[in-house]
Amino acid sequence: MRPARRPVRWRLVGLLAPATLLLAGLFLVPLGIMATYSFLSPGLYGGVEWEFYPFNYGRVLGAPLGDVEEFDPVYAAILLRSLRLATITAAVCLVVCYPAAFWVSRLPAPRKNLFLFLVTLPFFANLIIRVYAWMLILRPTGFLNTALDTLGLAAFAPDLMFTEAAVIIGLVYVLLPFMFLPLYAAVEKLDPALLQASADLGATPWRTFVRVVLPLTAPGILGGCVIVFIPAFGNFVVPALLGGAKVMLVGNTIEQQFLAARNWPFGAALAMLVLASILVFMLAVALRAGRANPSVRS
Amino acid sequence: MKSTVASIGHARLDALLHIHGAHRRFATPEGGIVSALGGVDLEVRTNEFLTLLGPSGCGKTTLLRAIAGFEELDDGEILLGEQPLSGVPAYRRPFNTVFQSYALFPHLSVADNVGYGLDVGGTPRAERNARVAEALALVGLAGLERRKPKQLSGGQQQRVALARALVNRPRLLLLDEPLSALDRHLRQAMQVELKALQHRVGITFLVVTHDQEEALVMSDRIAVMQSGRLQQVGPPGEIYDRPANRFVAAFIGNSNLLVGTVTAHRGDSVDIETVSGLRMHAPGGRFAKGDRVEVMVRPEQLSLDPAAGDGPTIDGVVETVVFVGADRHVQIRTRTGDALTALQRHVAGAREPGLEPGAAVRVSYRPEGIHLMQGEPA
Repeated sequence: MRPARRPVRWRLVGLLAPATLLLAGLFLVPLGIMATYSFLSPGLYGGVEWEFYPFNYGRVLGAPLGDVEEFDPVYAAILLRSLRLATITAAVCLVVCYPAAFWVSRLPAPRKNLFLFLVTLPFFANLIIRVYAWMLILRPTGFLNTALDTLGLAAFAPDLMFTEAAVIIGLVYVLLPFMFLPLYAAVEKLDPALLQASADLGATPWRTFVRVVLPLTAPGILGGCVIVFIPAFGNFVVPALLGGAKVMLVGNTIEQQFLAARNWPFGAALAMLVLASILVFMLAVALRAGRANPSVRS
Repeated sequence: MKSTVASIGHARLDALLHIHGAHRRFATPEGGIVSALGGVDLEVRTNEFLTLLGPSGCGKTTLLRAIAGFEELDDGEILLGEQPLSGVPAYRRPFNTVFQSYALFPHLSVADNVGYGLDVGGTPRAERNARVAEALALVGLAGLERRKPKQLSGGQQQRVALARALVNRPRLLLLDEPLSALDRHLRQAMQVELKALQHRVGITFLVVTHDQEEALVMSDRIAVMQSGRLQQVGPPGEIYDRPANRFVAAFIGNSNLLVGTVTAHRGDSVDIETVSGLRMHAPGGRFAKGDRVEVMVRPEQLSLDPAAGDGPTIDGVVETVVFVGADRHVQIRTRTGDALTALQRHVAGAREPGLEPGAAVRVSYRPEGIHLMQGEPA
């Protein structure tokens, strides 16, 4: 008594419809509003004037200049700095998490679970509080410098507050779990027998790493880099608190345009540019992954 | 071969590998210590097919891994010719392994899997390709070079694993339960094929298995292990006919095992009486009157044919008759209460008289069919 094909299909559509509509509504509508706003003229006290106004983008990209909003290279510089810091953040997270993932995957099961719990533990505390804690550590009279002072190393005490280094430390701290979890999943799947097989066939540990470990954990590396890079690129809490006005990133620039400067269309245009950059980045990653997968040649 | 260790006996001269007093202990999760290897002495001879046979947990895989270099010994040593292998990493040992799970690289094609050892060894491309093709032809996989391991059947993966190891022309090929993942028919075909392959390539094979039939079919010599110790090392026929102790007798083939005492000594043979009072006659000049012995009789050495010769006999009653295809296993309770199994060849259409449960039978045997082993003192 097997139900006919057609009713099953309709039942599937019926079951998926609410979630699909909800996602479309909550995702596409706000995106549409942002896209529309980015082509409108700013209102005097916030909000928008409903007239076509293409110069929001020109202010960043240096396209045709209008009379009102002038091209300012500072925004391109902020975008590039954001790209650079997000790349560094992803790289540092990778270097820290890759060996750690191997270490944890070799632990006995109870300690493994404890460690995975510890990795997710920071999510239980509010992000802003955790970043404030870093301010207490990094500021000139903070814990770090006090500790160095006590050890008689005052000469080496760095002034990290409101530097790119502080922003990178903060971003790495916040995003580390996002790198660790996909890496761990890939490393855990790696069959130790493959490493023995490689050694058995005469490969030194380094060659085994390059020819077996790296290719087989590449999906985890790629996944971790993507989900660290994207939030690092758009983050506004960390640069606002640890970078201040000296290390403006695109995230807190957008925040400022919406809140302090009350220029919603320009904020929307910056957000659309961030979105476009990430789409290009993702597309490149997807193409690379697609090309690498079907035929890995040595 | 310049590795001729001057020593007693010619067997030592053509030995490839010597294992002396190998000890390996592991900590159990409960905090105890288990001895996986409790002092193993073994030599692997050049060009032989040697099987390490034993139940799971007997230490055979630990020994194989110690030879491959994945496991360090706590005590004892392994010598390749005269060179001690302790401290030599797996990647510098001239051995290759066929893993139980095959451990094929999932991201590489069949050809790249097979060529892996040659690639890391820096073999020139042209020679590498020729040898890969040769190895794949040897195991009957020509034409599948571009497949990924996932696109192969279990039997084909097994052959890739074999080709990947053989292509490097190792001094010694280690095979860890190589046929255990295959179904029965394929396994039996591969047993014969592995043996033929070993003959053709002229490489020493060391196989670990828990399957006694597999060991009997393939091996030149079998090393039977239990609880981290070697029980007996010898050719299959010797192990089968003259097991060293009760464990070997019970583990390999079917056997009737009884415990008894030597009651009289007559030159090359002895009279024995089992605990239950059954009297038997067997060769065993090395035993003295009063010795405790284990008595082994293979079922096929017991005859139920009333017309069989004039040898000694045992009277009993048929308990059950089990048909297993080629043979019938006839379980008999002797008058003294011992259980014996006799084998009767199945002949289609022939009605065997008197083999119904409950029928009285007279079992005859030849004394040479009985094997005596040292028993535990009473």
